Amino acid sequence: MLKKRLIPKFLLRDGRLVKYVRFFENERAAGNPVTTAKVYNDYGVDELIVLDIVPSEASRHRVVEIIERMSEEIFMPFTVGGGVKTLDDVNALLRAGADKVSVNSEAVRRPEFLREAARTFGDQCMTVSIDYKKISPNHASVFIDGGREHVALDPIEWARRCEDLHCGEVLLGSIDRDGTMSGYDLEMIHRAANVLSVPLIVSGGCGSLQHAIDALEAGASAVAISSMFLFTDHSPIKLRSHLFSRGLEVRASSSSRN
Amino acid sequence: MSGVAIVDYGINNVRSVRNAVEYCGFEPVVTHDAGAIADASHVILPGVGAFGDAMTNIRARGIDELLERHVREKGKPFLAVCLGMQLLAKTSEEHADDGVLHSGLGWFDADVLRLMPNDPALKIPHMGWNMVAKERSHPILDHIREGNLAFYFVHSFAMRCNAPEDVVGHAQYGQQVTAIIARDNIVATQFHPEKSQDSGIELMSNFLRWNP
Repeated sequence: MLKKRLIPKFLLRDGRLVKYVRFFENERAAGNPVTTAKVYNDYGVDELIVLDIVPSEASRHRVVEIIERMSEEIFMPFTVGGGVKTLDDVNALLRAGADKVSVNSEAVRRPEFLREAARTFGDQCMTVSIDYKKISPNHASVFIDGGREHVALDPIEWARRCEDLHCGEVLLGSIDRDGTMSGYDLEMIHRAANVLSVPLIVSGGCGSLQHAIDALEAGASAVAISSMFLFTDHSPIKLRSHLFSRGLEVRASSSSRN
Repeated sequence: MSGVAIVDYGINNVRSVRNAVEYCGFEPVVTHDAGAIADASHVILPGVGAFGDAMTNIRARGIDELLERHVREKGKPFLAVCLGMQLLAKTSEEHADDGVLHSGLGWFDADVLRLMPNDPALKIPHMGWNMVAKERSHPILDHIREGNLAFYFVHSFAMRCNAPEDVVGHAQYGQQVTAIIARDNIVATQFHPEKSQDSGIELMSNFLRWNP
């Protein structure tokens, strides 16, 4: 069977690893992305997501350099994104060693870009990243530009539309839960997993081993985790062993692999 | 003979294959040059992208003839990865919109078909880590324990082999997915060993030390 994936999510600001709460609060420095990635590699995580959260011309070069360095020593899939707007941007990241490129704001502004990128580089290379926030008790809406701009799109309808535009995977993130370690938005995950035919990676809220189990049981193909790995003693090894012992389909832990 | 030729047929990201070869302690050369392929001790055909475009590029650069000579006639150890493996089939239905199948190199009596898992809940592409069950042993799987045969897959099409003896291993994804094929000096994987951490590096390392 296909394994559920455990994916540390790296947020980069000027080439440094950072982490916030609900996208903007409590900025914390979290170290050097390349050395942290090596540690996670030794922990046997399944994949890495690297997002440049304040993209600029200068940061783009730095991200390319970071991915190049990671891909020299770390042999696992990388999804890289942040400010991706053109086919050249996608190409530069793939050439640097990314396996998948994540597109967020530009897909909303110019849906045909997603289709064009998928046609040029293959559906499996294009991950669409969708950030959403509750705007009323029963409604969530998509936000772009790093959570700054509200757009009148329902996250699940938008995810389905992206599927029609040939994205290969959806990374769905709750802004309300980001960095809070209060658990994933299970209701949204359940709804999204039921209607999407591409793999679903969920992000935002993981703070305990049980949270990851809940999200995977709600239908996610993969859990993206940031704060829990960075700021608690729940390491990827511990999470993997726990999921494995609870009978979830994950790879065997690296200790039993060696 | 020196170096490991990674065949360049105009696809984008051969960097990770090159890095993995280097990491295993060998010298990679990304090339479509006849001399470099002739000089290489081992040849790797990586693969990302669409079948039709790949075959067009391979023919335009004369790579099909180079591989025929050095791999099939002279018996150089050869590893094809992902789309590279699919290119060894007779035909592929990828983007065969008008009903005309693309023709491949035809080294294996096999066809490339769209994945059709029998469970509608299974997502396409088949993306992520999956276990490979061995049909038989092969030198590239040496020293990898059965429980560690998890590899990273990402594909929407897969090879159906008509000759069961060609199949070394398969994965399950709502259907049997051909994962490793081999014959003589030729071996191919549907998954990406260069993205499969320890087990993948072990497999690459076995291949680079293989002298069939």
